[in-house]
Amino acid sequence: MSSEVALDFHSGVSSLHDTHHSHDEHHHHETFISKYVFSMDHKMIAKQFLITGMFWAVLGGFMSVLFRLQLGYPDSTFPWLEDILGKWAKGGHITPEAYYALVTTHGTVLVFFVLTAGLSGTFANFLIPLQVGARDMASPFMNMLSFWFFFTAGIVMLSSIFVETGPFSGGWTAYPPLSALGDASPGSKTGMDLWIVSMALFVVSSLLGGLNYIATVLNMRTKGMSMTRLPLTIWALFFTAVLGVLSFPVLFSGFILLIFDRNFGTSFYLSDIFVNGAGALPNEGGSAILYQHLFWFLGHPEVYIILLPAMGMVSEILSTNARKPIFGYMAMIGSMFAIAILAFLVWAHHMFVTGLNPFLGSIFVLLTLLIAVPSAIKVFNWLTTLWRGNIRFTPAMLFAIGFVSLFISGGLTGIWLGNSALDIHLHDTYFVIAHFHIVMGVASMFGMFAGIYHWFPKMYGRFLNNTLGYVHFWITIAGAYLIFWPMHYEGLAGMPRRYYDYSIWESFKQFSDLNRFISTVAMIVFATQILFLANFFYSIFKGRKLRTANPWGSNTLEWTTPIKPGHGNWPGEIPEVYRWAYDYGKDGTDFISQTTPVGADESVH
Amino acid sequence: MSHSAQALHHDDGSAVKEIWKVTAILSVLTIIELILGFWMMGIESESFRLAIKGSIVILMIAKAFYIVGYFMHLKHELKNLIMTIVVPLALFIWFITAFLYEGNSYKNLRNRYDPYKKAQTEIKVHKNEEVKEGKPSAE
Amino acid sequence: MSTVTATAAPTKLWGGGKSPFDVEYGKLMMWYFLMSDAFTFGAFLISYGTIRFSSNGWPNPNEVFKSFPFAPEGVHAPLVFVSIMTFILIISSVTMVLAVLAGKQMDKKAVVRNLILTIIGGIAFLSCQAWEWNHLHSEGAWWGANPFLNADGTQSSTNFTNYFFTITGFHGFHVFSGVVINIIMLIMTLMDKFEKRGHYLMIEKAGLYWHFVDLVWVFVFTCFYLI
Repeated sequence: MSSEVALDFHSGVSSLHDTHHSHDEHHHHETFISKYVFSMDHKMIAKQFLITGMFWAVLGGFMSVLFRLQLGYPDSTFPWLEDILGKWAKGGHITPEAYYALVTTHGTVLVFFVLTAGLSGTFANFLIPLQVGARDMASPFMNMLSFWFFFTAGIVMLSSIFVETGPFSGGWTAYPPLSALGDASPGSKTGMDLWIVSMALFVVSSLLGGLNYIATVLNMRTKGMSMTRLPLTIWALFFTAVLGVLSFPVLFSGFILLIFDRNFGTSFYLSDIFVNGAGALPNEGGSAILYQHLFWFLGHPEVYIILLPAMGMVSEILSTNARKPIFGYMAMIGSMFAIAILAFLVWAHHMFVTGLNPFLGSIFVLLTLLIAVPSAIKVFNWLTTLWRGNIRFTPAMLFAIGFVSLFISGGLTGIWLGNSALDIHLHDTYFVIAHFHIVMGVASMFGMFAGIYHWFPKMYGRFLNNTLGYVHFWITIAGAYLIFWPMHYEGLAGMPRRYYDYSIWESFKQFSDLNRFISTVAMIVFATQILFLANFFYSIFKGRKLRTANPWGSNTLEWTTPIKPGHGNWPGEIPEVYRWAYDYGKDGTDFISQTTPVGADESVH
Repeated sequence: MSHSAQALHHDDGSAVKEIWKVTAILSVLTIIELILGFWMMGIESESFRLAIKGSIVILMIAKAFYIVGYFMHLKHELKNLIMTIVVPLALFIWFITAFLYEGNSYKNLRNRYDPYKKAQTEIKVHKNEEVKEGKPSAE
Repeated sequence: MSTVTATAAPTKLWGGGKSPFDVEYGKLMMWYFLMSDAFTFGAFLISYGTIRFSSNGWPNPNEVFKSFPFAPEGVHAPLVFVSIMTFILIISSVTMVLAVLAGKQMDKKAVVRNLILTIIGGIAFLSCQAWEWNHLHSEGAWWGANPFLNADGTQSSTNFTNYFFTITGFHGFHVFSGVVINIIMLIMTLMDKFEKRGHYLMIEKAGLYWHFVDLVWVFVFTCFYLI
């Protein structure tokens, strides 16, 4: 079927692949709109996801700088804040409402828009067809819709920042009653309506994308590309899509119930509520805990939706730049599979202190701690891949190694938090902040940076500036540890998260210097990311040009395409695959592309 | 991957026969469910009712099997496809168990630590006046 | 096009260059979409179960759903009306599967006939649901309003009606979109779109969706009316 997987995007979902198209002379009329805006080329859609994700990363990151200002300098005023935030920073001091709105939007934007859409949206779109050997996604049209649903979700979320009562401010998890009652806080009014509409659109986007990724990986692999010859990136993105397809609908149901609670007088999540000024509410019989269960049924798989693509890309980049086969290829697949299953079984470990039944809690502890097994397998496989490798420290490789480091340090604290007894002390403290920022936030960002540095040449036919890449890496890794490492101590001391001002608390006054230090580093790291963006956009137009099609000496299929592949990826036939993706340094050969037939006297791996 | 691959492996006459057979099975199962439902109305014993409810659930799953297997044709697909669809559904086992267990535990928790609330839910209401009001009271 | 048959050696199925399931991608996507939708409905029904398990009392469905259209006031006919609805949906599923079969045989006339029957079944189901909703509404039941008492005569929370209207409404929305899809299929069949394409695979995908709607009703019916 390889050559018949035609680009028949004119007939939509219904089209069969046996309709013949001659893609060799596939020069249909392309306008600016069809090439750059409503594009159905997976590579262009990937770039759209990436750049939209970057916009949100800058916005979400800037928000963290703003609330870190409040946390680091609670007594100072910054008149320029009033210039940009208006009444939300009267007299140059962020108001409590604005602080909570910033924290909430930072979380929502980073988790969903940057690390879900920006990460798996970009790389699943870019890499799946290129690495499995397909001309495009199964349904390019649905792929385009997926991006535009995401874009619209972004517009709605952005508009919520500008409404009179401000964006939603009840935390990114949007627990009721703060999310269900408009009277609960200013942000619970229009801001929450827009938040929920935006998230519903986002769910649609990720379902459209996820179904497409699954169908493409299963159905459209080129000849010879069996599942066990797939690069680990594809396996990771495949599991990511499966997680999304199975868990986002549960969140969607939870949101629908929430919409009814907000607007139609139901009480799915409401019971025994007394609102200041409004008195006792008539809503009875619901359970706010139910929302948390539904939310975390998505929420926990969501952290693996964020993490798995990074893991996959890091595996690929480590192996390529260590010039060694990935260690334990099948174990890597198995552990990702185990992680994907366990992701659905552990959600209530986010809820140990909600009054969750302790017996049920103990089962969740057991299942949670089981995740340590596949995670450890992966870590050891990465380390053994590096061991005695002929390592090339490209910026992508540095970020990949940084990912491993962060995944270890963040993952270990997960074992602490997975214990329901320890969680009584640690729940909702800065320890949790430190844990999930390192293991999920920063680590996945590192995976994303690694991916961008590694595949930028394929995306734009030019290199990113190496020196700036090294500067970017070293400041970011040092900064990440300097920001989040001290938070472990604050958390162990009991410092709760989401407080507006710690200086008024006798117990937490001691941390005011530390908080100021963290804030300062956060600003430096944020500025460094701007440097990266400058590098990115400069290099698109002025970067060093690619001279060979395969700059990293990589085995995977995307490097067999021309330097600037057109729509359809391969000018002629799609190459056939004869081997797995990790034949580095085999029989004294530096690398053997997947398209090279197995020689007669080759050793068997 | 042409559609000819999905052609039935048995001739069309037997396909139609199979459809009507499954229809009959589904109808019989539904009728048994309804009989159980009617029968349950007159039964006082809580545990006996629970047993009947359990058997209704089993019948429900049997119906689901026939719809998915024969109407949706999954039984005639390749085994790999069947597995990729059936295996993820196993997630429902823990999904249902944990949620219902937790719901029950929440009830016990509230009943133990909120005796006032528990007493409120034990007050019998006269039906007629309630219906006339047309709206439930807040309590 | 390599004509792959289902009898191909199983080791070759995953070898790439073709679908490992011998299924074109649209049908595969439809299956996985339905699986995802099953999680949507599953989450609804499980939430319903959770709230029911966390409540001290719950209305007896036989006391609530006991009316029948055109029957005199006060008639006690539990389960009768909903049984009719259930059979309507089962029969419409049968006609749909016949339509799919006819499509495989390239029998346009039979496809048209069975699609029309399916659409009628869908509309009949929706009408029944509309009557039931209307009737319950006239009794004072709605989102946020529950006139029914618990089985033991105590005051019930509104969650019984909340869930009933939300879940049957969501299911009804699926039935409605299924009817719309089937109408589109009918028009496309009448316009000979599938004849020209040489296959009726679209009907098969629409059929999957329609059966899924029937499948969900099996669960909704059991959870709300029977137990």
